[in-house]
Amino acid sequence: MIFNSLTFVVFFAIVMALHHARFFSWHQKKINLLIASYLFYAAWNPPFVVLLWISTVVDWWAAQWMVRAKAERTRKLWMVTSVVVNIGMLAYFKYGGFLLDNFVSLAASVGVQYQPPKWDIVLPVGISFYTFATLSYTLDVYLRRAKPAAHFLDYALFVTFFPHLVAGPIMRPTELVPQFAEPRRATAHQIHFGLALIILGLFQKVVLADGFLSPVVEKVYDAHEGVPQMLDAWVATLAFSGQIFCDFAGYSSTAIGVAMCLGFAMPDNFRFPYAAVGFSDFWRRWHITLSSWLRDYLYIPLGGNRHGPARTYTALMGTMLLGGLWHGAAWTFVVWGGLHGTYLAVERWLRARFAGWTPGPAAIVGLGLLTYFLVNITWVFFRAKTFTGAATMLKSMAGVAVNPVPMLALLPMLFAIVIVGGIVGTHWAMRKQTLEIAVERTPAWLVGGILALMSVAIVAEQGKGSAFIYFQF
Amino acid sequence: MPSSTSSSKRRRAPAPKGIVTREGALPAGLRLTASDRPGQAQPVPTRDIPKQPWGKIMIAVAATLLAGVAALEVNARTRLGLHAGDLDNSEVAWVEERARSENAPAAIVGDSRILFDTNLDRFQALTGVRPVQLAIHGTSALTLLEDVANNEHFNGLLIVGLADTMFFQPFDGYGGYVKRRNDFTTPSGRIGIEIDHMLQRRLAFLDSNYRLSVLAHRLDDDYRPGVEGPKDDIWKVQEVGEQRQTWLWDRVEYDPWIQARSRWAWKGFKEKFPFTPQLIAKGQARAKAAVDKIRARGGDVVFVRPPSAPQLRVNEEAQVPKAKGWEVLLSNTHSVGVHFDDLPASVQNLTLPEYSHLNRRCAIVFTDAYVRRLTELTPRLKLRADAPPPLSRADCVPGARVASAQ
Repeated sequence: MIFNSLTFVVFFAIVMALHHARFFSWHQKKINLLIASYLFYAAWNPPFVVLLWISTVVDWWAAQWMVRAKAERTRKLWMVTSVVVNIGMLAYFKYGGFLLDNFVSLAASVGVQYQPPKWDIVLPVGISFYTFATLSYTLDVYLRRAKPAAHFLDYALFVTFFPHLVAGPIMRPTELVPQFAEPRRATAHQIHFGLALIILGLFQKVVLADGFLSPVVEKVYDAHEGVPQMLDAWVATLAFSGQIFCDFAGYSSTAIGVAMCLGFAMPDNFRFPYAAVGFSDFWRRWHITLSSWLRDYLYIPLGGNRHGPARTYTALMGTMLLGGLWHGAAWTFVVWGGLHGTYLAVERWLRARFAGWTPGPAAIVGLGLLTYFLVNITWVFFRAKTFTGAATMLKSMAGVAVNPVPMLALLPMLFAIVIVGGIVGTHWAMRKQTLEIAVERTPAWLVGGILALMSVAIVAEQGKGSAFIYFQF
Repeated sequence: MPSSTSSSKRRRAPAPKGIVTREGALPAGLRLTASDRPGQAQPVPTRDIPKQPWGKIMIAVAATLLAGVAALEVNARTRLGLHAGDLDNSEVAWVEERARSENAPAAIVGDSRILFDTNLDRFQALTGVRPVQLAIHGTSALTLLEDVANNEHFNGLLIVGLADTMFFQPFDGYGGYVKRRNDFTTPSGRIGIEIDHMLQRRLAFLDSNYRLSVLAHRLDDDYRPGVEGPKDDIWKVQEVGEQRQTWLWDRVEYDPWIQARSRWAWKGFKEKFPFTPQLIAKGQARAKAAVDKIRARGGDVVFVRPPSAPQLRVNEEAQVPKAKGWEVLLSNTHSVGVHFDDLPASVQNLTLPEYSHLNRRCAIVFTDAYVRRLTELTPRLKLRADAPPPLSRADCVPGARVASAQ
């Protein structure tokens, strides 16, 4: 079930009614939420609920046995068991076909013609997200950052809680499990602001991402013939930067709003990323829950910055390469991650080299624009389905394409430029504050007017119920 | 050490109190996030509620939304000529009909011509059989014929409607999604379409052809040289009822501007690629294999060629001549077929407002004619004793009184 569907509207209305009904005990309400979350997930493909159960049960017991273990080796064994089961499922469903294809290519390159049976496995929606969420549970317990949950119901609800289940924000057990301990019921203000966040999120997704930006991106990136002119290639890439932000940040805002309407708090996942100055800043603002997960459970265990420059750069690059692969089973995603790793490494070196330099306002803006420019280069690999496609786009963007043709009509192009310009401008205007501060400082009539316009635009756009881009990850 | 079970000691969520300065060294108003707390257990997030008169704001939003929906609906009905009950096209609806076609006595596949030009009520009134409509606009009938051939559960009569060029084109077209139909069988998809249809039966403005972004993009009057803009896309031409009963949108008939746009969009059916003898032969071979497969399990296949206006026909004939396409298809597959050329003079020269599809009334007349002919050609369809009397061209002119099921 996706947030931008009528099915979800009905589902959410029922969940809200059950959750705020006074005749259910808190225990019963949690069971209701658990059942609702399974239904939410099963609405795509019912059999895959089994994967959720496996992940839930294995990690629950792994954490329990970890705590009871006397020997450090036994603790480690249970931690490894959890990692192997979770990563094993992820590897099988998400990377099985990719690994097989690469093996076949490798074999062919040394003259061995191997034709395996077709790998016809459907990718369970959101498996990367809930795998990371459950892994953080056993890893936190193993690292002694948290005690295991006391009640299985609270833990199972943490894993499956539908607002974050399929596309994040990737929650840690310490963020959510405690919220299930006591009865939670949203206040009227929480429900209203939660609905406002849902409107904002759906506007970003349905109107901006799907309605105005996606057609521009598809027209160029999915063109069957012809090479785009420089202008078309740049507009399409900028449009994709807006599309993926509106798509994913829209999902996160909606998820946070949905949880808020139920009385739960979820963490920020975006902090106006296109106003980032530098790449370490970018990753503190973009998909925060993933970048912090990778930092805490991959980069730091790999050595972080405590074992000399060589180890640091290796850990940085390794983390970003794996982060790229997390997004999709394709080498283009690996390159995307590799580029970000390279940017981070270069930035780190430059910071050390020019440690005494404090940039002025003009330099901040210049570095911010440079960051945005370089981020857009990485988006080419993220969006292009093949390296050939990416190379074509980069050549066009560099103005060296042979016989390029115009592809985009004027008005769609202008709409995309205005929207993306608006997004980047808003990010810069908001880079040192939260959405809540900005809303509080805006006159009520304007807040109401903007929300009203967004609501009407969502209805007028109708939406085709297209899935969020990050579902495929 | 923070505990994930320590929530029992936590206070109840505080009442909204506006923005507060949060932990850490960030400027006032900025919240810390996980990115600011490396290598530690993350605490329960804090979410502030901005101080605003939220109750009043939400009432205003709801009122504006209602007014907006009302305005959209009035505009759709009075200015755009849209009708409630137009269920729009959807992949899920096709997949549901496809499931219904299993073990059905008859089904129809093909492109938009057989889709628009067949009236299911008339078909049923004549034969007692209501075929399952599986045709898809902009799609090669061959793709759909092969899909049915691969459906082991179908052993009824398959009516293949075709436009010659689209039949032999080297790609599936719009309906390529039938090859990944499992993507559209999710429970949420099925529930979603039920809710969609429930609303579309009552609201006219819910039409994907008139979405906000589509309208905004179509304002582009080909301003950029060398680019075919969104205005050049195919605009709305059809309405869809229950069980995918589809007909030409009446505005295409009465609005000269929309009609001209639709005619222009077909571009005379002048395809960009050559219909080489090899391409046609490949299509013929695929068709024969599919037909043989259906017959091998007890089913049967007939072909129907709905009409097109001379303005299109001349180009279609130039690319795939009837003698090389249609006639070879029938002989190769040992099938019977109804070509509109062969129908009685009383049903020739039916009204094709945008050259490619019959208007709604003429579709009933054409259905009447081709189904009667089919009952003579195949024992799988029988004319009912109480079948309504034959129709003619006179019944499809405006003002003629003819009901599809009479």
